[in-house]
Amino acid sequence: MIASVFYFLSFVSIFFAVMVVVSKNPVHSVLYLILTFFSIAGHYLLLNAQFLALVHIVVYAGAIMVLFLFVIMLLNLNAATEPVKSSLMKFAGAIAGGSLMLVLIAVLSKINSIQPAHEVNTQIGLIKNLGKILFTEYNLPFEVASILFLVAMIGTVILAKKNPHTS
Amino acid sequence: MNISDWLTLRIEIALAVFILLQLIIKIFDLIRSNETWLRLNIAITFLIVLLGFTGNDSGSLFGGMFISTSFIIIEKTILAFATLLVLMQSYNWLKHHQHTPEFFMLLLTALLGMFLMLSANNILLFYLGLEMATIPVAALANFDLDKQRSSEAGMKMILSSAFSSGMLLFGISIFYGITGTLTISSWQEILRPGGLEVLALIFIMTGFGFKISLVPFHLWTADVYEGSPVSITAFLSVVSKGAVSFALARFLFNGVIMMQEFWVEILFLLSIITMTVGNLFAMRQTNIKRFLAFSTVAQAGYILLGLAGDPVNAPTSVVYFILVYMFSNLAALGVVEIVSFATQKEDLDDYKGFYNSNKKLAIVLMLALFSLAGIPPTAGFFGKLFLFTSGIHSASVVWLLFASLNLVVSLYYYMRLVRMMFSENNEKPLASIQSPLLSNIALIICSAGILFIGIFGGLYDYLHQLAK
Amino acid sequence: MILSIYNFTLLTDKIHSFLSAHMSEEFVLTTELVLIGLLIVTFVAVLAMVLIYTERKVAAYMQLREGPNRVGIYGTGQVVADVLKLVLKEGITPNGADKLMFNLAPYIVLSTCIMALAPIAFGNGLVLWDLNIGVLYITSITSLGVIGILIAGWSSNNKYSMLGAMRSGAQIVSYELSAGLCIISIVVLAGSMQMSEIVNSQADGWWIFKGHLPVIVAFIIFIIAATAELNRAPFDLAEAESELTAGFHTEYSGMKFAMFFLAEYINMFVLCAMAATLFLGGWMPFHIGHWTTFNNVMDYIPSPLWFLGKTFFIIFIIMWFRWTFPRLRVDQLLDLEWKYLLPISMINLLMIALMNILGWHF
Repeated sequence: MIASVFYFLSFVSIFFAVMVVVSKNPVHSVLYLILTFFSIAGHYLLLNAQFLALVHIVVYAGAIMVLFLFVIMLLNLNAATEPVKSSLMKFAGAIAGGSLMLVLIAVLSKINSIQPAHEVNTQIGLIKNLGKILFTEYNLPFEVASILFLVAMIGTVILAKKNPHTS
Repeated sequence: MNISDWLTLRIEIALAVFILLQLIIKIFDLIRSNETWLRLNIAITFLIVLLGFTGNDSGSLFGGMFISTSFIIIEKTILAFATLLVLMQSYNWLKHHQHTPEFFMLLLTALLGMFLMLSANNILLFYLGLEMATIPVAALANFDLDKQRSSEAGMKMILSSAFSSGMLLFGISIFYGITGTLTISSWQEILRPGGLEVLALIFIMTGFGFKISLVPFHLWTADVYEGSPVSITAFLSVVSKGAVSFALARFLFNGVIMMQEFWVEILFLLSIITMTVGNLFAMRQTNIKRFLAFSTVAQAGYILLGLAGDPVNAPTSVVYFILVYMFSNLAALGVVEIVSFATQKEDLDDYKGFYNSNKKLAIVLMLALFSLAGIPPTAGFFGKLFLFTSGIHSASVVWLLFASLNLVVSLYYYMRLVRMMFSENNEKPLASIQSPLLSNIALIICSAGILFIGIFGGLYDYLHQLAK
Repeated sequence: MILSIYNFTLLTDKIHSFLSAHMSEEFVLTTELVLIGLLIVTFVAVLAMVLIYTERKVAAYMQLREGPNRVGIYGTGQVVADVLKLVLKEGITPNGADKLMFNLAPYIVLSTCIMALAPIAFGNGLVLWDLNIGVLYITSITSLGVIGILIAGWSSNNKYSMLGAMRSGAQIVSYELSAGLCIISIVVLAGSMQMSEIVNSQADGWWIFKGHLPVIVAFIIFIIAATAELNRAPFDLAEAESELTAGFHTEYSGMKFAMFFLAEYINMFVLCAMAATLFLGGWMPFHIGHWTTFNNVMDYIPSPLWFLGKTFFIIFIIMWFRWTFPRLRVDQLLDLEWKYLLPISMINLLMIALMNILGWHF
């Protein structure tokens, strides 16, 4: 049961991820990306990490993707504004991608099965355990991430507030 | 955690506190004058450099997530010192910039990110450090706010770094899947050469390749270096590159040492392409910043040669080389910055007859170019020498041959610039430039470094001892 | 203390065991899902009608009018007539619209807000899905409604719709932050994200009484943020009729328009139910200290009544806002959130955490 759900979710997420790249209309791409995030949230649920699944939805689908939609809608990008790529570029891209796929298939076919290196704690995704580990063992990365976001914010504000006198 | 544990973290804590304090000062607008900000930050950076010398406590914190050794602290001190020199050189530019305080916040955070990246024994912390060392610099590349080239540089940098982070993360997640742990040092017991492992390693090397701009991942480098403000070019080419090289050395020798025969092959291929392409492209450039950009691309190829050594010599030679390279490249870019600020000219042709109008600057630039080319009495020669001696450990003859050939090629274009400065005439020569005091001090330090580091032989032994 | 006669777990257990006795396990599950679905659909339909009627009546009385009074007793049939009109109207899809997206958007908006009903505790033991992170579930699901609104605005291929969707999106995304912080402050006090746990933590008093000033501040901010998230006056810039005709649903008609309309009311109910659960004790009856007789009387009122009563009280407050405050400008709206509500709720959250650590609440 779990395995079939896993395969279904994986298929869905890969399918939508491909659609993100393939679809001509940027808004459709963003919507496919939202669906991809949903299926990834489903994977979290399978791992018994409900909290992470929901946070994933809030943060990505609910906030970040909404900002994406905003920008794309305001720029009014649509299929017509997509730059035309020369067929040579497409050819080169196809060869490069094809070789990467070949390598990946070659590598993956060599692997019989991957055993988990150690026992996985199935309760780790629950909010209590997650909170505890975040504030003890992973305290440093947690704080570092907050500084990173703060500074990214400063940088963005600077760039957004370009000199009003010159422009 | 007791006091001595906190002391292990002292540099990072000091930096973080300074960054947040500056933010608070800026929010309440307590310091208005740009010059006060500049002095304050030069003092802070100097303090960070000094902190590196106070006691070399080694230790590990947060369950082995954060480690510190004397060698790592030396690496950090070198980076902080390079940042100090960059700040001193950018005095003139920042004096009139309208966002000077933010410049320092971003720059110091990038430095903090590098420190964390170097001390990280956990791949998560490592990745956070790497991002923290990149994202602020991308904003800084865009700091000439009214120039379009600068925006282009920032955009290219953020996009290429996002892409490379993706590559890196893909490799990291495969490693995590194989080993089941995020601790880098425990990977070496589990990772053995195999299909999936090599694939992951290739992805990780690609990520690193972007960050130290190896060929074929160098395409962003010239545009970003050209478009960014000169100080940021200096920071990117010296501090960022140095930090990632150190981190690469640590990753290769701590995490995946058991796969050495594989990554030496990767290094071999990347190294010869990088050196060759970097040198060939450098010859054709007409803009001095692009010229130096390709010269730094080529230099990265030699760093890879040094990494092919054994676990003690390789990191030592890389650190030594970066130290030397820091002095040489910052001297060259320092002169470029002074010239570009005073005259807005950045073409190589403008430097014809440079010696006639600006004798001292021309001599400093000459010294820097000699050192970059690796001509004997300068430190650059010793830097290259140690990289080569380290690389002999496992590098093939072809590799060494290519490296030597490339040294000759690079000699040609460095010397061409020197000849242009000293013996060619220019119809529109550059005016005689008054350079500011702090830039002069920075240039003097750099020149002294170029001249004396090589002669002061104990340094390599000292580093070698720390690396053991 | 909590009367067992109103414990709905007994009822639901009885139904479950009755079904299990007669059917196989999968079939029981299916039947129960169908039953729940029917219940929800009925509930939603009735709820929308009641709310529309209330809205019109409240509006009318605030303006010294009678409100609907012709169709049915006291105009109650008016709503039914309106619904009939909407159902029978032709649903038009504009020519330049992105057909698929245009028709999909109302369903997205409606389904997200119906999904948000799942973890709400309607009464003692009357919860559809009492998951351990119920509060977070509701916030995350309601935050998805924005996507539907943005799609609706964009796919209509109309400048007014687009602007309305943008305004609405910006507003919802910003006000979600302070609403979230207020929710977290109660989660800190209750020590759980499960709806039933949060209700149980208020057995000896509702948080708004137990939590001193910080919780009252949180309640007020939550109500403001909820009003803004609902795009209701005074925050109804998204459909400011004098500027944007009708905002993101300008181009919608018939059933598709009705869906947006319905979604809006369900959303209002969900957010007010949240407020009632978090701050006013959910289905917990009102008790006063040692007044045993009074408390016993209160206990005899069934828990769903308590819950619905509190929810409708908050809905009434929100309707009251509409006829009290003038509409804000866009910049005022964003200033209010980012410069005032967000810092206040952050500090407030810290205060509540401190209060909780030191045990200062009752």
